[in-house]
Amino acid sequence: MSKLIRSVYILGQEDDVVFSKEYARSESKSDLVEFLVNLAQFLKSVDLEGQTEFMNVSISRIFYAQRDMFTFVFIADKADDTVQIEDKMTQLVDTFMNEFANLATAKQPLDGFDAKVDEIAVTMVKVAILGFAGVGKTTTLHLLRGETLPLVHDPTIGVSIKRLPEEVQNANIVLWDLAGQSRFSILWAKMIANAQVVVIVTDSTLENVLRSKKLVSLVKEEVPEAKVIGIANKQDLPTALTPERVGQILAIPTYELVAIDISYRDRLIQIIRKAILEGKAETRAA
Amino acid sequence: MPEAAFVVQLDDYHGFVVKKRYPSTLTLTEKALNLVFYEHQKGVEEIQELEVEGMRIASFTADAYPGWTVGFVLGSDEVLDSISKEISGMGRFMLELMSQDPESVDIAEILEKKSTMPSLAEEQLCAQIYLTPSSALLLERLHTEVVESTAKLSMWLKSQVQADSVDLVEAITPLMDSGLVKVEMVGKTLETAFLLKDLFAYRAPPVESFSKAEVVAPGVAAEYREYISKFFSPEPPAVGYNPTLPIDDPNSPILEDREKISKIISNTVQYEVLKSLRERPRSVSEISEHTAFPERVIQNALWAMEAERIAAHFEKQDVWVLITDPRMEVFFPEYVLPVLTRKLEERKVNSDTARRYLELLIQTWSE
Repeated sequence: MSKLIRSVYILGQEDDVVFSKEYARSESKSDLVEFLVNLAQFLKSVDLEGQTEFMNVSISRIFYAQRDMFTFVFIADKADDTVQIEDKMTQLVDTFMNEFANLATAKQPLDGFDAKVDEIAVTMVKVAILGFAGVGKTTTLHLLRGETLPLVHDPTIGVSIKRLPEEVQNANIVLWDLAGQSRFSILWAKMIANAQVVVIVTDSTLENVLRSKKLVSLVKEEVPEAKVIGIANKQDLPTALTPERVGQILAIPTYELVAIDISYRDRLIQIIRKAILEGKAETRAA
Repeated sequence: MPEAAFVVQLDDYHGFVVKKRYPSTLTLTEKALNLVFYEHQKGVEEIQELEVEGMRIASFTADAYPGWTVGFVLGSDEVLDSISKEISGMGRFMLELMSQDPESVDIAEILEKKSTMPSLAEEQLCAQIYLTPSSALLLERLHTEVVESTAKLSMWLKSQVQADSVDLVEAITPLMDSGLVKVEMVGKTLETAFLLKDLFAYRAPPVESFSKAEVVAPGVAAEYREYISKFFSPEPPAVGYNPTLPIDDPNSPILEDREKISKIISNTVQYEVLKSLRERPRSVSEISEHTAFPERVIQNALWAMEAERIAAHFEKQDVWVLITDPRMEVFFPEYVLPVLTRKLEERKVNSDTARRYLELLIQTWSE
């Protein structure tokens, strides 16, 4: 989906900061504001013709645009996609100018603008967890969220959507844990729409892994852009196929897991992080 | 009247997002929303009833609003069968309003006034044909072929648009939904498309509205007549609107215009406003009262119609009138009979197909 915007600033006519929001720690804020004020003053002497431009500063890229008396600034990573950030800048400028510029001019509170900025600027990555019933999808979800496992198995109805408590690769991760019971299979195609990563969980038994090949086909057909990874869960059971063998059968990169063992959490998050990065790289290459 | 209601959207990132609820204390769990959504995915009905977490929920979805559902919490004495029309009408009304102006959706008011919106009218179904370019192309093809196997139609369509990915089902669906075309198996293997009705999209003079104007808004009648005359029969050398010119005539208004009027007719709010103005001139508030849509939404619809020379505003009297009346007229395609005879003689169709075609025409037009 979108790339990361680390912070957003809007400066007014008197070079005052009308709005600011930081999504990730960046350079010292006071230095930055001083820099932005100088930038805003400089921009008054040039005409950007409504365009967004950028400059590289260290590892960051500073995007700026000007409309009427306001200067808009995004700070992003140098590695991120310029076109997408410029699109977001256009959205932000339009939203502000249409709905909030008058309030800002009258020095009134910009009620509701913060949420609009979130909508535009926050990067979200959808990770769908797919697999047949009882393979440990919800346990994997609990593991990722660092939660204690419930004592009683409560099958998921439809889909359970939760956020990962921490950011991964500077993005908010939304986990879609899809119900595995066959009656809910009619929902799968719809529910994995727009997923950037699909995690196919198996219980590592031969029967389940063979069945799960269908899921790989479904995912490749419905979300061909998504990065698909396999999870060979329940590796603590004696009948478990090795992750290598599971990966061979599913023909996707596959990793071992014991979802009831909290020590696997960091490893799993790293796997998802890698999948997001690889997905980004593939998108860029395409 | 339902005790409570909610509007929920399945967002690809955030999941089920309850956009509106009444009363504000209504709580809905993820499980309940999942079950409501699942019930609709299982079946094809627009309305489903489900008992979940102690509530009887009647829910409404429609293809025109993918991902959106309206749920109504029924009272203990309410039977869905007896109120299903009302429920679907209110559901459609809420979803249409959500798509036009979400802030104006007031569930309490909609429930109290029982504001409803009907399902797509025949004219709106017909308008979809001209908004799907491959459908309009197929209709033209059927004007000459009248009956054709779907395999041949598919090949023809691919050659016309020069793309293998073109989907005949997508192209033919608007023709089938509007009843213009029927697709059936003839014998065991021959899937055949039959043209049963033809369609003419044009602007008619707003006769009924104008005749009422002389009674209900006499102050605008003279100027109103001028507006209409200017469009349909201006002083020479200007040429008025003439929808009967052949479409290959450079002065024919049909091709460029039918897409414009199709857009207006297919937009439900604009279509409701159009129907309201077909009856007589009205002010924004009168149209709002007549259609149940909020004035702001009506105003936007009127501006869109004004831009397409369908509606006009008399500021002094604050009244809106129809200056042209977009119509989708369906008629019996008499020309199919000689074409069918010729095709039968040339053995381009077999006798089973010809017989079935005549049966279908009789069924369609005998009432």
